[in-house]
Amino acid sequence: MQIADAGFPYLSAILVSCLAGLLLIVAIPEERKALIRRVSAVFSGITLVLSVIVFCAYDKSQGGLQFVEKVMWIPSLGIQYFNAADGFNLPNLLLTGIVFFTGVLTMWELETRVKEYYALYFLLVLGVFGLFMSMDLFFIFVWYDVSLFPMYLLIAVWGHTRKEYGAMKLTLYLLAGSALILPAIVYLFTRSGLNTFDVVALMQPGVFSADVQKFAFPLLYLGFGILAGVWPFHTWSPVGHVAAPTGVSMVHAGVLMKIGAFGILRVGIFLCPLGWQYWAQLMALLAAVGIIYGALVGLRQTDLKYVIGYSSVSHMGVVGLGLSTVSVDGLNGAVFQMFSHGIMTALLFSSVGYIYDRTHTKMIPELGGLSRIMPVASAYFILAALAGMGVPGLANFWGELVVFIAAVKVYPVRGIVAVLALVVTALFMLRVVQKTFYGPENERHAHLPDVSFGLGVPRMILAFVLVLFGLYPALMFDVIQTASIPFMNGLPK
Amino acid sequence: MNWMSFAPELITLTSALWFLLLSMTARSDPKREHVAALVLSALGLAACLASVGAEGYCFAGAYKVDLFSQVFKVLLAAGLFLIVTLCGELSDIEERNRREFYVLLFVCTLAMMLLVGANHFLVVFISLELSSYSLYVLVALRRDRGLGLEAGIKYFLVGIFASGVMIFGLALLYGASGIAALDGMARVLPGIIHQPAVVIGLLLTLSGFFFKLAVFPFHFWAPDAYQGAANQVSAYIATASKVAAIGVLVRVIASAGDGGTYLVHVLAVLSVVSMTVGNLAAIAQQDLKRLLAYSTVAHAGYVLIGVLSMNPAGYSAAVFYAFALLVMKFTAFLVLVEVASDGGNLRVEELAGLHRRSPILALALMVSLFSLAGIPPTVGFTGKFLVFVAAMGEGHFTLVLIAMINVVISLYYYLLVIKAAYLLEPRQELPALRVSPPLKLLSGVLVIAMVAAGFFPNQIIRVAESAAKALL
Repeated sequence: MQIADAGFPYLSAILVSCLAGLLLIVAIPEERKALIRRVSAVFSGITLVLSVIVFCAYDKSQGGLQFVEKVMWIPSLGIQYFNAADGFNLPNLLLTGIVFFTGVLTMWELETRVKEYYALYFLLVLGVFGLFMSMDLFFIFVWYDVSLFPMYLLIAVWGHTRKEYGAMKLTLYLLAGSALILPAIVYLFTRSGLNTFDVVALMQPGVFSADVQKFAFPLLYLGFGILAGVWPFHTWSPVGHVAAPTGVSMVHAGVLMKIGAFGILRVGIFLCPLGWQYWAQLMALLAAVGIIYGALVGLRQTDLKYVIGYSSVSHMGVVGLGLSTVSVDGLNGAVFQMFSHGIMTALLFSSVGYIYDRTHTKMIPELGGLSRIMPVASAYFILAALAGMGVPGLANFWGELVVFIAAVKVYPVRGIVAVLALVVTALFMLRVVQKTFYGPENERHAHLPDVSFGLGVPRMILAFVLVLFGLYPALMFDVIQTASIPFMNGLPK
Repeated sequence: MNWMSFAPELITLTSALWFLLLSMTARSDPKREHVAALVLSALGLAACLASVGAEGYCFAGAYKVDLFSQVFKVLLAAGLFLIVTLCGELSDIEERNRREFYVLLFVCTLAMMLLVGANHFLVVFISLELSSYSLYVLVALRRDRGLGLEAGIKYFLVGIFASGVMIFGLALLYGASGIAALDGMARVLPGIIHQPAVVIGLLLTLSGFFFKLAVFPFHFWAPDAYQGAANQVSAYIATASKVAAIGVLVRVIASAGDGGTYLVHVLAVLSVVSMTVGNLAAIAQQDLKRLLAYSTVAHAGYVLIGVLSMNPAGYSAAVFYAFALLVMKFTAFLVLVEVASDGGNLRVEELAGLHRRSPILALALMVSLFSLAGIPPTVGFTGKFLVFVAAMGEGHFTLVLIAMINVVISLYYYLLVIKAAYLLEPRQELPALRVSPPLKLLSGVLVIAMVAAGFFPNQIIRVAESAAKALL
């Protein structure tokens, strides 16, 4: 892997802006809620701008790792603070920047324990950014846990619908994942004999024998897969989605689940490519079952958030299917799908959050005719739902299309069955749209206001991104390919 | 003999004697005694820090001063100083017993300092007994006589059993090798470690330290003693006493060379059972001190993983872990002592509303519990990470996996405590907690220390590595 030198430390600047925002929020007195909101918006805005700059400034003609920052951290164990950007993590950094900023704006009306909410929210996103940009196994694990633990309080304090149960279940499940990841990472560290946690050094061919890779890969796949919502370890996910407050649901489904899929890619696949190839069939099976299962269960739900929760299980199955194809197309589609699903699901949750805040219900039978009561808010939801169905012109179409082309080539039966499951997804999304936004109005909601321009801004940004990458997918594929093609070419044939 | 290298012990001894003299006078002034204890313990800490680099033997080779012992003395002196900071309101110790309380506290610390520097079986035994007997009395000193006495007697009975077993082990070791000095033993032991009598002797000897560390099956005293003792005494047992136990355990194990297969297997079994029993039992606890006691049993299991690696990385990981335990457990107890300002035992549900009553204490509690659970980027995580790396280096994959599963179990009950502090509302409105500014500052410093030592552990790791190197 080629490494380019860093100029301005953009990646660390992203972390610093999260941390500075966090510290400032902690320093502001509790009762100055407006100031806390403004500081949150400014610092998350800076983070978004920095992540856009990094995405745009990445030199696609050169490829490889760019914006490299390396500092020796614990010399005796070869642990480094090592950040870098490549075609795999750039889409995720951009995604995090967008969802972070829009998540702050979405929660603008929050009134309870505002300071604590934003402080924990910043801490969570700090961990997510850290994980996406880190190229050192130790730091990847540290950031993984940093991003998980604020989640417990964020859901348990500000959530609803069995919030304590949801928070506890989520935390224990995800920590169970880390109970597999940490031994696997330490195992690889000791087996390499290189005394380093550097991903680039450890991914060189010949560092790990085939047996070591075959042993470590399933641990990493399961460990990170729990967070990615891989069936049958997904059960924390819909419960957590439903229990979380809107902004947290956005980050949770939009970004946090991507950490899992990205972990499988960055740690599992990068370090154990032979293990990846060996276990790919099983990965494909689990992914296909997840796609079908998520769609079928989603069909039966009456709670809007559960619908989105199960659709996430199905859509993340698409990511898993892409990763399991062991092909350039599969990787391209999977990474694209991570990005587009993140944006789509953030828009869905953001819209549901608005509807819930106004109607105080998210049960589909209690809603109805909302498109006449709040047409703008409805339009955002419908747009996201259309994206979820894989309608051309919106970002999700490309990710799913490329993954399914790759999957049908490699696993014809599982691929075709998974494609058919998309019909079910379309069916339940259409059902939700029809029952929630059309049909007879619920009189109780007739007087409710539509989303204002100010509150509409975060939804507008998300919708814009969905359309932008839907109409111009090369913007993203060109970046991803700078990583996927060299990586696949470097694999032992 | 260079007396300067013995200065920490001398200052601690002098402090104990001073309080002993004071206890013979009729008039008592708790405030002045507390200030005096603070000053004397701070002096002891300063002396320990000043003599970190000292080396040599005292008392005809029976006592060894090296970097390993000096690092542990710093931890012990720091532990004593921290505990004394909590003794401003000793509401659960009778006023007339306060001076004896300080005598015992200083004597116990002295004994533990001697323990980590001991180089002869007799010194090991005598200092272990001296520290244990001080603790038995400290536990029984509680104002609520029934509770304290019962706990003290239980502690005493398990303790003397462990002592008996240990002296039998020492006799076996002496019989097999003809040597009673630890450094001499280190030369002979690797050659005879495969003899059954030696393995049994070593295990029986270690049982004395297992008792101190609350390793299964020598842990039965811990929940009762923690619950029965005054809060400050429980804090002392949970922190300084554990540090000393880890110190002497590592020193003796390090003398066993590669340890032989049997010893490693037995230690692995004890480690797994300690972790699992400790964590499972803690889930059911409502009394915060009992919960922390069972978590101590679990932590003893984690420490054993480092120790049974029997390599320098494992020993330095154990040293690091001792430091981590001191900071984490002390912080948790600081919150407990402050919230239960009447000196009573604190139930988990009584933490309800803590985040509003005292945000800094709630934060300190949360960070200390996350650290105890081993969540990054805290010092507790780094401690576990180092232990796991050392064990994995010796191929103990399953052990590390079991430990990680235990981490998940432990998180459940730690989260229940955090939930109580951050989510539950008290049945009736409770006033804000009055925490003195120095203790607020101390809480803040401890929070920063736990995170900073987790994120920037390099210096501490270096010290721990140097200390471990001094052993070999």
